[in-house]
Amino acid sequence: MASYTAPLRDMRFVLYELMEGDRLTDLPGYEEFTRDLIDPILEEAGKIAAEVLHPLNRSGDEEGCTLENGVVRTPTGFPEAYALFREGGWTALSCDPDYGGQGAPHMVDTLISEMICSANLSFGMYPGLSHGAYAALRHHGTHELKDTFLPKLVDGTWSGTMCLTEPQCGTDLGLLRTKADPQDDGSYRLTGTKIFISAGEHDLTENIVHLVLARLPDAPKGIKGISLFVVPKYVPDDNGGVGARNGVQCASIEHKMGIKASSTCVLNFDDATGWLVGAPHKGMRAMFTMMNAARLAVGVQGLGLAEASYQGAVEYARERVQGRALTGAKAPDKAADPILVHPDVRRMLLTQRATVEGCRALAAWVARALDEQTRHPDPVQRQEAEDFVALMTPIVKALLTDMGFETTNHGVQVFGGHGYIREHGMEQYVRDARIAQIYEGTNGIQALDLVGRKLPANAGRSLRFFFHPVSAYIEAKMEVDALAPFVMPLAKAFTRLQQATAQVARTGMANPDEAGAAASDYLRLFGLTALAYLWTRMAEVALPHVGTDDPDGFYAAKVATARFFMERMLPQSGALFSQVMAGGESMMAFDDAAF
Amino acid sequence: MTDIKTVAVLGAGVMGAGIAAHAANAGARVLLLDIVPKGASSRNALAEGAVARMLKADPAPFMGKAAAKNITCGNLEDDLSALAEADWIIEAVIERPDIKRALYEKVEAVRKDGSVVSSNTSTLPLATLIEGLPERFARDFLIAHFFNPPRYMRLLELVTGPKTRSEAAASVEHFADHHLGKSVVHCKDTPSFIANRLGVFWSQSAVVEAFERGLDIEDVDAIIGRPMGVPKTGVFGLLDLVGLDLIPHVNASLADSLPKGDPFHTINRPVPLIGDLIADGYTGRKGKGGFYRLNRAGGSKVKEAIDLTSGLFRPARKADVPAVKESGKDLRALLSHDSPHGAYAWAVMGPTLAYAASLVGVVADDIVAIDEAMRLGYAWKQGPFELIDRIGADWLAERLAADGHPVPEILKTAAGRTFYRVDAGQLEYLGLDGAYHPVERPEGVLLLEDVKRAAKPVLRNGSAALWDIGDGVACFEFTSKMNSMDPDIMDLLGKAIRRVKRDFKALVIHNEGTNFSVGANLGLALFAANIAAWSEIESLVEQGQETYRALRTAPFPVVAAPSGMALGGGCEIVLHCDAVQAHAETYIGLVECGVGLVPAWGGCTEMLHRWSTLGRLPKGPMPAAATVFETISTATVAKSAAEAKERLFLRPHDGITMNRARLLADAKARALAMVEGYTPPGPREIVLPGPSGRTAMGMAVQGFRKTGKATPYDEIVAGALAAVLSGGDDADVLAPVGEDTLLELERTHFMRLVRTPGTLARVESMLMTGKPLRN
Repeated sequence: MASYTAPLRDMRFVLYELMEGDRLTDLPGYEEFTRDLIDPILEEAGKIAAEVLHPLNRSGDEEGCTLENGVVRTPTGFPEAYALFREGGWTALSCDPDYGGQGAPHMVDTLISEMICSANLSFGMYPGLSHGAYAALRHHGTHELKDTFLPKLVDGTWSGTMCLTEPQCGTDLGLLRTKADPQDDGSYRLTGTKIFISAGEHDLTENIVHLVLARLPDAPKGIKGISLFVVPKYVPDDNGGVGARNGVQCASIEHKMGIKASSTCVLNFDDATGWLVGAPHKGMRAMFTMMNAARLAVGVQGLGLAEASYQGAVEYARERVQGRALTGAKAPDKAADPILVHPDVRRMLLTQRATVEGCRALAAWVARALDEQTRHPDPVQRQEAEDFVALMTPIVKALLTDMGFETTNHGVQVFGGHGYIREHGMEQYVRDARIAQIYEGTNGIQALDLVGRKLPANAGRSLRFFFHPVSAYIEAKMEVDALAPFVMPLAKAFTRLQQATAQVARTGMANPDEAGAAASDYLRLFGLTALAYLWTRMAEVALPHVGTDDPDGFYAAKVATARFFMERMLPQSGALFSQVMAGGESMMAFDDAAF
Repeated sequence: MTDIKTVAVLGAGVMGAGIAAHAANAGARVLLLDIVPKGASSRNALAEGAVARMLKADPAPFMGKAAAKNITCGNLEDDLSALAEADWIIEAVIERPDIKRALYEKVEAVRKDGSVVSSNTSTLPLATLIEGLPERFARDFLIAHFFNPPRYMRLLELVTGPKTRSEAAASVEHFADHHLGKSVVHCKDTPSFIANRLGVFWSQSAVVEAFERGLDIEDVDAIIGRPMGVPKTGVFGLLDLVGLDLIPHVNASLADSLPKGDPFHTINRPVPLIGDLIADGYTGRKGKGGFYRLNRAGGSKVKEAIDLTSGLFRPARKADVPAVKESGKDLRALLSHDSPHGAYAWAVMGPTLAYAASLVGVVADDIVAIDEAMRLGYAWKQGPFELIDRIGADWLAERLAADGHPVPEILKTAAGRTFYRVDAGQLEYLGLDGAYHPVERPEGVLLLEDVKRAAKPVLRNGSAALWDIGDGVACFEFTSKMNSMDPDIMDLLGKAIRRVKRDFKALVIHNEGTNFSVGANLGLALFAANIAAWSEIESLVEQGQETYRALRTAPFPVVAAPSGMALGGGCEIVLHCDAVQAHAETYIGLVECGVGLVPAWGGCTEMLHRWSTLGRLPKGPMPAAATVFETISTATVAKSAAEAKERLFLRPHDGITMNRARLLADAKARALAMVEGYTPPGPREIVLPGPSGRTAMGMAVQGFRKTGKATPYDEIVAGALAAVLSGGDDADVLAPVGEDTLLELERTHFMRLVRTPGTLARVESMLMTGKPLRN
């Protein structure tokens, strides 16, 4: 099985050298998060990921979850691993210290999430969902609800879920039917069926806290009539411990393409006791406040799997010997050359690498803005960061998960037939990566969010916080000779993005189908341009070190990867630009009956 | 026909004073008289007080301070003899026939032969008013009914009696049309004439039906407003504006005077809530509020609306009417929407349109007069017969019949047809005789809408068009949203200049939108700025500069004919024309600083040129620059064409047309008069103060900043403006600055500002909230 080592060197490069991680301490609440504190946390996380979680990845995939008499059992080793994870304080990492959390910055949390997703995405689903429930309750719950549930969610003795989807409603939550009847004591009784509920039932924690979207009896029709409730598997007793079993049962678990060790449940709510979270009928608003963070987290899943796949592929390409280099034997002492010598294998490996490192930088950039959005003392800065996060969220979610799927596929290809069989775990990465393009808003929905909501809002204000810094950077670096191989292609892609943006805004205003038709290509063009900007900046940071203080060749490799990205990946922006500018006529004019 | 030069207004109430002010705006000598109040220090206190109040009022009854000087105040005891000088005597006293007649007797004793007397009554029949008065009076008497406020409402209802001399009516009509700028609608001598007869029926139906159905007034206003082409105040907002206390009087007067079978009696049902509101001082915006109020309790302003069922105020909410949303622009769909809101819309509009149809031939000779009265008197976008054409006369007739409602004759006449049609480019209306007749325009009226009906444009794109308006004159029309200036307008203007040079003698720039142009398309500009498309923005600025310069230097005369707002880029195009024929209600100004920018389509340059050549200022380079600086940095907008002359947005030789309908014809005549021997103006070269002037202007702004009149960002914007207006670093008294340098300065500082967050925040605020941001 392919091994995994946390890419700590590159993570520190992104954190400190690219994104001014040392200045996180300027933000109120993060004063203690110096390198001295962050580095050991990253190392410890790397250890638990590599040593505890990764060894369970393939076995968990083989074994899957089982449902017996309404009880779900996770694969062998998962409960023990979860206990270690919980005791190590990892569930509490980025939570509010008032509820027992450690208050770590989003930047740090994002890097650690990546490690967990690389090592064992299925495992990561359980604490990931708990964090979603934590965030919803913390932002919208009453004091009483917070005091009851948050400490348990933070210390990991209880876990959480998000119950949105129903058989008849996925993307369109306006069709939701689960109902909530108010009771005299201020609680509610919920009845309905929820499907696709990750971590909906399992044996890792003593209680499960479901956050459920449902309708009140007097609710308006559609999306404006949805409220949010908290419904625990066991109703807490007076001492805050586990009390009576509540009316929520796992009816079945899904058999899926990937993330098989994550239990995906059908949950039946039958007069289950719950409490309202936030205002009546404002459930969607409550969901929106944590949606950005949740979507970024899903993007990081794609990134994590891409990293794991790249590591496996590189190791294999060094060891596997087949054929000779096209220009003559490179390892004459061996029966054949390692496949690493072949141009096409190098193409795939560098594509993986440039993708992973670029996306890591992108995730960190947005996570940094998320930290500023929540912590910056200046409200103007907070607002700007919020606009930036809102703009980049659909891009990070869709780009990183699409690229995660593409990159893990490259990993299989490098392995050849050995990638297609289960033994090496390379095909599992592909299967696991596939879901991230679908859940938390399909990537098509992300693209629509970008063109339909983020672009037109406030005459394009949120665009400013991407376009202005990039434009200013290009102007400032245009004359720097050493950067020319990076800035020039960046400038070209940036101009294409500007023109495509104006085109999408203009045609989309007149005809929404035009914006819809351009959306996915436009998002990808945007994402590639963002990566080009970050690759140029990474090259700029690395260049002065090359040949001077670069004993392990880290910086030289960084610059070389940047060149690869500019020359071999960014040109796709030209094709994407043409696709956007071509408009949607060829699709929309196609006769429905001819499909 | 008498040429009216002197006007006397009797009664200095809201209407009398407003009419006096507007006659003064028209350049007439005005005598304003009212009774001598008991115990007042001045015997003319009522008239004097009215003039003083009007000088402070907003919207201003006067078009300029100078107009107020045309009014002489007096009283009805000492100054009656002065009426001997008046060509037109307008009575606007309390609506009591006995009082009016008593006054007429006094007037009759002193007024000169050939003078005309009119009443501004809104309810009393002419026959009643002349009862017992001598023959001479009856011959010179008519009703000329103004709408409030007299300066701004374009409708004048004219009623003549059987004895009224036709020359008397013609004199008033001519003066009202040409000098007061009114559209005169001839009415028959029936109660409340046209607009109020129908308007009160409509508003009373809307209120009674809403009250009896227990609807929310926000929803009602959303139904009865925009979808019907009625101002968005709808009905409750309108009544708040007009005054709730008038409702019982108006209704009672109509109930008294209308014949027994009139449908008004059926909808004149009591609404007890209105009486309660008036008793509590809720008389509308002039009182504590009306159906809506601003609750200032607790330090914050909360807009509240009355609940028609409980009679209590509650926080106002956004209207939520699915019937309106679902029916879109389809009025018939709204009227037949299967919901309480749809039923309400029909319950009001069905009978109202039927009532209008039943009044043809009763209150006026034809549908054209009724439509015109409702458009100009109630600001409806479409008159009742235009609305019927929208929903279909047959459909309306069927629906009325289905409700058991009598179907008016003219609806039957219209069966299978429309009330208006266009035949061979000519707009025609359906007469009572069942035949179509051309809609006639008064002599000297040229409307672009008529030109457009009859011909295809010479040039056109999505934002503008060029029309042939005859006699070798072309008209350039903006057609973009809000007539905002965009790249397409510039593009077509460039083409139009080449075409006019080849095929025409002169060019007029004019359109019939509410506003001439609100300036550059800010949404487009902000979006471009947000995506850092700086070179696009700069080329937009350059394109505008070049196009406007080409307009100014074109080898044919160019006349702008603006009406309504001409702001920013819309002002700059006017500044580049050889002459302007402005509608009196033109609001012109360079407002760029308000959104954190400087005028950069030659606006700074042209204003400097004007003030240094035409401004009567002290010698030296500073006064012109300083005056322009003050005008532009404060984003001053002239509140009338007269005021625009004071600011030199218009030059002394530019013309003003009072009647909007006559604007295009006047502009065309002006352009043609300039053709003979026309030479375009030469390049601009201006003596400017340079760095020392820049410093002086900067210090002025710092002063404003210290006293709190200017914000921190105002200072930055004004600094950029000072850099432009001072002529740059090389300017001094001995080195005049050429227009190329000035245009480059405009461009440079515009581009600098457009990249600044403070400017982007201002533009965004203007676009999103319509309010300037004071950052």
